Formats: sequence, structure tokens, C-alpha cells
Amino acid sequence: MTPLKVTLGGMYGRKSCQLLRELASAEPGQIPTFNNDLFDQVIKECTEHQFQLQSLMRKIQDEGLDIQTTRNEDHFGAVVHHLSLIRNKRCLMAYMYNRAEIIQGLRWKLGPVLPQEIQEKLHYLEEEYFKNHSAAIESYMAELDLDLTVDMVPPKDPYIQVKVLDDIGEVLLGDQSATLVRHSVHSLRRTDAEPFISQMDSTEKTAAHGGGYSSEMSVIFYGFTRRRIAESVGS
Amino acid sequence: MGHYYNIDDIIMEEEPILVSFQVGANGVGLLDPSSETNSVEKGAKVDLPFWLAHELFLRQAASVNVPSCYSQKTRKEIQADAACVDLRSRSPYFYELGCKVAPLVGDKTIGSFLRHAFASRYKEALSKAHGAALAKPPKYLTYLTKEESSLFEAARTSMEAFKKWQAGGSRLERASILGRKRKPGIGTHPSSP
Repeated sequence: MTPLKVTLGGMYGRKSCQLLRELASAEPGQIPTFNNDLFDQVIKECTEHQFQLQSLMRKIQDEGLDIQTTRNEDHFGAVVHHLSLIRNKRCLMAYMYNRAEIIQGLRWKLGPVLPQEIQEKLHYLEEEYFKNHSAAIESYMAELDLDLTVDMVPPKDPYIQVKVLDDIGEVLLGDQSATLVRHSVHSLRRTDAEPFISQMDSTEKTAAHGGGYSSEMSVIFYGFTRRRIAESVGS
Repeated sequence: MGHYYNIDDIIMEEEPILVSFQVGANGVGLLDPSSETNSVEKGAKVDLPFWLAHELFLRQAASVNVPSCYSQKTRKEIQADAACVDLRSRSPYFYELGCKVAPLVGDKTIGSFLRHAFASRYKEALSKAHGAALAKPPKYLTYLTKEESSLFEAARTSMEAFKKWQAGGSRLERASILGRKRKPGIGTHPSSP
């Protein structure tokens, strides 16, 4: 049997835990780049464990012992490999699961199209997952005829004053279109303005959105606080 | 056992524990760095991650030693001045690991020791979190375990949120995922007339 020290570098399960540490050390609300390399290494480690497990079990059987009741050194070796497999599986599953949770949250925070910088961090299957999840939410909202992604707290005034930070161009807002030019101030329906506010600063978004928006999409409240909005609306 | 997908739970179970093998095991020489063959001898003492040590213990294949971070020395330090003990360097999952290890080693004093340590440090952490809300992180923070830092962080952010609410701050913000950088000058827009 080839010594494991060569084929399995480091303590069993070390790499899969490393994968999770990476996820845990990311700043809250951020998603780290999918670590394809390390992920594959863990899968390889699993294959190696399985190989070792099977060869030990074969050895027990070859010696004519009962696989169910034998508790010899080969048995405990096999147990260790078995446990390592289960451990690696748990780590890989947790990695995917926790990333999927973050990705689901992105739909609510950023809308149906992800900015380039975030898309780059996802595995292509995760992008697929995001699209499908997004479609599911959209069809549900269409069924209800209700936009669930708007702010949870009802506004005091349905219109708010916004100041456009960058040229956005003509956009369709509800039943009318508006031209959002840099530094212009508009009174918009709050529900129309919200998506622009949550995407503030993201210049790369334009490419992802394709037509419709000409250059950048960055809008911000003219008055920064709620109190100030009330003032500017009142005056 | 915590939630199957819980990251903290998984990382905590990676903490090393000293075990003595009660049986031999073939094909796993990696576990024992001093072993020259590809197997672990009966009676070998090796450091194993908790997840492996625990399962082997349940199968009566290994006995578990009390980790050094729960030694008499640590206990005396906690008794002297609990808040000033650097628990993170001993184990970032000091309490969680202690709870899991205690039933395996049959040491009934670990439980009450952990409780005493946590209770006396908690008070300190909370008052510091409320007081030093905006100051740069003090050295004290590096002494906290994972659990304690999240408590500290929770206390600090709730204090911040309270102050923001008092001042009537803006509630709509850009999604945090897009990074923290702000366009210069946003905060300096002339306020409305």
C-alpha cells in the first residue's frame, strides 16, 4: 500500500475546513470568490479516502473475517477513512449551502441582475441557481401582483426627492419615462427610485443591464436624512 | 451537535485534542507523525481534530485527554482577573469546545469553570462595547473568543444603531455587498434650505 503521507498532504479534513474558514473570514454580507482549486483538492482527497477504505475492507474479507463483527486494526483504519469522508462531505455541503444562502439574499438586495464584480465570484452553477431563484421569486410576485422587494416600511409620502449622481439617460418609471441627467433633481415615486438607490455607485452595472440605461445608474436621496426630505418637500 | 451546515460548529470541531489510541489502526499513518509504518500503534498519543477524536472515543478506540486550555493554570488566571485572560490564543472556541469535551473526559468541574469564566467576562465585554463605541479596537478585543467577539460586536452595533436612530439617520442605504467605499462628497451635499 502506498503511504498516505504522500497522497494525502496534511491532516485529514484540513483542506475542507480551510474552505470554510475562507467563507467565515469574509466580511459580513460579502461573498468570497468560489475556490475551485481547493474544492477540487477536497474531492480528490475524498476519492483517495474511498480508495483506502475499500482496500482495507477487501483485506478483511480476503482474510476470511466477518466484515460486520471484525474489530481489528484494519477495521479501525477503515473507520478513520470513513469518518474523514463524512467530515469532508459535511464541509463541502456546508460550503455550498452557506454560499447559496448569501446568493439568495443577493436577489433581494440587488435585483434580478448581478453586477459583473459579483458574478465573477460565483461558480457558473451558482449563477444558474441565482437565475432560477430569481425567476421563482418573480413568478411568485407576478402571481400575487405585488412587488415584495420594496422597502418594508410604508413611506409617509409616495414621492421622494432624488438627486442623480451620474448620467443614466432615459428610463421607464411606472407609466412614464424620465430622463435622469447628472445633478438633476427629480420627484420620483419612492418605489421607482429604490432600485437605483440600492445600486448606488455601481458603474459596472450598466453593461450587465444592457440597453435601457445609457451610462451609469447612480441616484441618491437629495436630502440625506428623512427629516431633510420632509423639509425639502415642504419648502 | 449544532446545525449540520453551521460553519462555526464545523470550524470548532477542527480544534486539536490529544488522544491515546486504545487500538491499533492500519492505513492511517498520517495521524501519527512519529510512526514509521503506515499505521498507528495501540497506545500512541496523537493530536487529532475534535471531530475524529470524538467519533473514535464513541467507538472506544481512543481515550480523550483534557485539552491544555482547561488546565489549572488557566483556571487560576481566570480566578485572578477573568477579563484580562487571553482566551483566544488558548482556543477561539474556548466555551463550545469545553462543552463538547467535558462529557468525554468525565471532568465535572469544567462546566462550572466555563460558566464562571463566561459570566465574569461577559459583564466586562458588554460595558466596554457600549463605552468604546467608535474608538479604534482596543487590544482587549484580541483576548476574546469567537463567541465573545460576536457578543461584543452585537452590543457595539446595537449601540450605534440606537444613536443613529436618535439622530434620525437615513434608513435606505446601498446594499452592503457592493463594498464599503462611498463616493467622496456624498455626506457634504449642502443641506436643504
